[in-house]
Amino acid sequence: MLKMNKISCVYQTDLIETHALRDIDLNVKAGEFVALTGPSGSGKTTLLNLSGLLESATSGTYLLDGEDVSSLSDRQRSSIRNEKIGFIFQSFNLIPDLNLFDNVDVPLRYRAMGIEERRRRIENALELVGLSSRMKHLPSQLSGGQQQRVAIARALAGEPKFLLADEPTGNLDSLMARQVMELLEKINSEGTTIVMVTHDPELARRAHRSIELLDGQISSTQLFGVSAEEPDEKTEAESVA
Amino acid sequence: MFFYNLRLAWISIKQNVSLNLLMVCAIGLGIGVSMSMITLYAMMSGNPIPEKSDQLFAVRIDNWDPDEAYTDYQGRETQPFQHSYKDAMVLRSSTIPLRKAAMYKGYFVVEPANDTVAPYGQVVRMTDRDFFAMFNVPFIYGGVWSESANDLGERVVVIAKETNDKLFGGEDSVGRQIKMGEHQYTVTGVIDTWNPLPMFYDLNNKAFGDAELLFMPFAIISHSEFDRAGNTNGWKAERINSHEEFLNSENIWIQFWAELPDAFTQDAFKDWLDSYVLEQKKLGRFPRPLNNALDNVTQWLEVNHVVPDDNRVMLALSFMFLAVCLFNTIGMLLARFMGKVSVVGLRRALGASKFSIFYMHLVEVALVGLGGGLFGLLLSYLGLFMLRESVEGIEKLATMNLPLVLMAIALAIFASVLAGIYPAWRICQISPAHSLKTQ
Amino acid sequence: MEIRPILSAILRNKTGAILLAIQIALTLAVVVNAMFIVQQRLKFIGRPTGIDIENIIVISSQGFGSSYDHEQTVFSDLELLRAIPGVKYAAHISRFPLSGGGSRSGFTSTTDSDAESVGANYYFAQNGTIDALGVKLAAGRDFLPTEILTGEQIDNGVVASSVLITKALAEKLFPDGNALGNLVYGGTGDSSRVVGIIEKMHGAWVSWDGLNQVLIFPGLRKDSGQRYLVRTEPGQRDRLIPEVESVLEKASVSRYLDRMEPMSEMVGRSYDNDRVVANGLIIVIVLLVSITGLGIVGLASFLVRQRTKQVGTRRALGAQKYHIVRYFLVENWLITTMGVVVGTVMAFGLNYWTATEFSLPKLDPVFVPVGILGIWVLGVLAAAGPAKRASNISPAIATRTV
Repeated sequence: MLKMNKISCVYQTDLIETHALRDIDLNVKAGEFVALTGPSGSGKTTLLNLSGLLESATSGTYLLDGEDVSSLSDRQRSSIRNEKIGFIFQSFNLIPDLNLFDNVDVPLRYRAMGIEERRRRIENALELVGLSSRMKHLPSQLSGGQQQRVAIARALAGEPKFLLADEPTGNLDSLMARQVMELLEKINSEGTTIVMVTHDPELARRAHRSIELLDGQISSTQLFGVSAEEPDEKTEAESVA
Repeated sequence: MFFYNLRLAWISIKQNVSLNLLMVCAIGLGIGVSMSMITLYAMMSGNPIPEKSDQLFAVRIDNWDPDEAYTDYQGRETQPFQHSYKDAMVLRSSTIPLRKAAMYKGYFVVEPANDTVAPYGQVVRMTDRDFFAMFNVPFIYGGVWSESANDLGERVVVIAKETNDKLFGGEDSVGRQIKMGEHQYTVTGVIDTWNPLPMFYDLNNKAFGDAELLFMPFAIISHSEFDRAGNTNGWKAERINSHEEFLNSENIWIQFWAELPDAFTQDAFKDWLDSYVLEQKKLGRFPRPLNNALDNVTQWLEVNHVVPDDNRVMLALSFMFLAVCLFNTIGMLLARFMGKVSVVGLRRALGASKFSIFYMHLVEVALVGLGGGLFGLLLSYLGLFMLRESVEGIEKLATMNLPLVLMAIALAIFASVLAGIYPAWRICQISPAHSLKTQ
Repeated sequence: MEIRPILSAILRNKTGAILLAIQIALTLAVVVNAMFIVQQRLKFIGRPTGIDIENIIVISSQGFGSSYDHEQTVFSDLELLRAIPGVKYAAHISRFPLSGGGSRSGFTSTTDSDAESVGANYYFAQNGTIDALGVKLAAGRDFLPTEILTGEQIDNGVVASSVLITKALAEKLFPDGNALGNLVYGGTGDSSRVVGIIEKMHGAWVSWDGLNQVLIFPGLRKDSGQRYLVRTEPGQRDRLIPEVESVLEKASVSRYLDRMEPMSEMVGRSYDNDRVVANGLIIVIVLLVSITGLGIVGLASFLVRQRTKQVGTRRALGAQKYHIVRYFLVENWLITTMGVVVGTVMAFGLNYWTATEFSLPKLDPVFVPVGILGIWVLGVLAAAGPAKRASNISPAIATRTV
């Protein structure tokens, strides 16, 4: 699903160069649930931004769903974000002026999609997160957990192959965090690949695999689940080579 | 508190110089444009003789065409602005007014005895001796000509300071002679510079022109023919081939003013006018309905539309322009104040009351307004300068006096404080908890 | 297009939008009315005069003293003026057209005393004066030297045998079109025959609606002042002014020159007020449009800055750059349009006020759509910068907290 090879990311200011990531090699298979952990400043968010095509790497190659995305135009990258990737942010990033229906509608608006199809998807997505009765509410009228569920609905409405979650439970209390986590697991079990950034080892353990970053490099990998099948990874690696 | 706030305002303005400069520009433009128009308007609509403007009356009687009312230069129906010689002579004979004067504008070529001054053309006010006392014209030397000179139309003259400087080097010239046309005229008095604005006593000619620099008895016209410089209007087909015939015609060319100090004399004079017109009707004159008018100075300025419609419209448009500038400023103030939310939250947390926050921001706005007012003054000076350069004879109107300068500053501060009320009210609603919530 | 969500976003941030909409409404109202007045005044100032005002020098002088002989002075002056190389024509006229001073009287085409008379501006001039004015004859001829009345004759009541009238006056007096060769009657019943019809010539007062109604009598009235028209070869006017002045000063006559200037300057003064109004309003329009343009830039930038996170999120969710540009342009367009709707009502209201309270003409409605279009274009241009900046917000903003 996602294959990074010798990815580096350097931020340059007038005086100094900051190496946010150095030579990262990362493979995520279809259907996998991967957690990215590490202390602040370790490069988690940068890696997430790169994998979500929010930023470009300084060097290295990146294959997403079999397609080389390292040198695409802004226009093509936007389309991929829109169609293949779903985002869940730590601070939800709902648009405060729009009601839930319109918020979930945002990514769909950037596709040529008929009003009927959009309505069906929005209603289904809100149904899935249990908020279909509050479609006309504004984000400010909801609790944090509910807002994050709306954000998940927004990500799901686009029917992405690949879901990126940045500390999805970071701003939530434990009860709400558990509900959100269960939702993510359910989505994953239906076949969507998920990469989740978290600093909570408890949550990381619920993924199939946990990758720890330190100073812009992968310091360790732990396997928890069963989905990671060696042969599959190898064949993909060979096909690239 | 005020000075503390003033210091804070200064610090705050320095924090965001560009936005504050934009606000100063916006207010300045609004003040500049509107003050240019206000200046013209104020100068045009001033009262030229405030001490007795309600006692001086322009007299009008209506001896116009039976089929068609008299119309002013813009086609509005009204009583004729001037009188025929016949009627003026009758009006001059009334003893009811405290003072009275018939007048018209004449034109003479002055031939100075002094060879260094070339002959020059001079517009002369031909009037009665009451003119000077009635209009409070100040004398430097001598005084007005005698009663008998007035009645007989003797060749005497009152000159203005400028004329005295030019012809007699500013000396006391009473008794000296001036040659005009074929005759010598004896100086009886010299008046100080006197330029009522507008020149209310003869609006029919030029409302904002200069007052005449020479004055002669009206009655001279009865025995001598002169060039007239003012307007003459007529409606009746009359054969006029001589001076005599002209004086006897229904042509109107003479203005008439009366000083009527109280309601009693005003009513009496009105009755007298009515009875004169009714009597003339019996003789076949005054074919129109009885329609006499006595207008005091302020009414007279209105009747003559001394402030042109154009200026009123421009004034209105300039106020709308100022309004746009102020709405613009409100927008910028909102943006500016919203940038101070966390600081204000902190102040509130530290115990500042809503009112003190409100007050503090109004002071800041007033300071910006002061800047805008100064910039606006500069712009209105520029605007008035351009106006003086492009229009002849507008020098006296396109000039700011001290009250107008002060008004510009006051208007700028008032307008900006008005604009600041809503933004300041918004910012003082910030809850003290705000500073703790973010970050 | 996503109009409804944009609209609800505007409504939830009312203040800024309302402030801008009010500015736009006022701007439209003022600009539409000001453009209309400017166009009216420029048209008024630019009316063709029929006179070659660009190549004419107007001179007036005043004679004095007992030795002054008017006729003698005029004839000898004209001879001197005509002899100057570069002078095409020189002639005398009783008053200058378009100067604001002149005489006017009523004329008819019958002796019937009930007939409605037509007002006309009348002049006394000689043969050749129409050449010096540069007016064209549509029919007939100029005066013959024998037709010119002397001052003596005029004072004794001798009636002119011939007159020249303008086409505009001819059409009023003789609606059937047979003016040439017919009699024109003055108020006292005196009549003169129309020998020539002038194609077009302006009279004395620019704001009189009978400006084109002019009549010229053949004669030289007794007067102490002379008024000369000197028409030069094209382009020679300014060069000749000092020469003309010195020629007249050398003539040994007791008089002083009181006016010596290009006719275009004199005419310009007659239109001073209209020109100042037009120029003043043009300045107001330019400043107003700039201020409002800045207001639009200001609000758009504010909204962009306020929504940096939101824009980043949209970009993260797959919005193309043009989606973002379009979003801000549409939002701005909606605000401008709200202002424009109110402004249209205000524009007509303002005009209603100026038309009823003052004698200003009714607004030509065509200026409203022109103004609206202008405001829309202004809105797009002003919002383009901030919208472009918004589209360059990095989608990575979305993952940053705070």
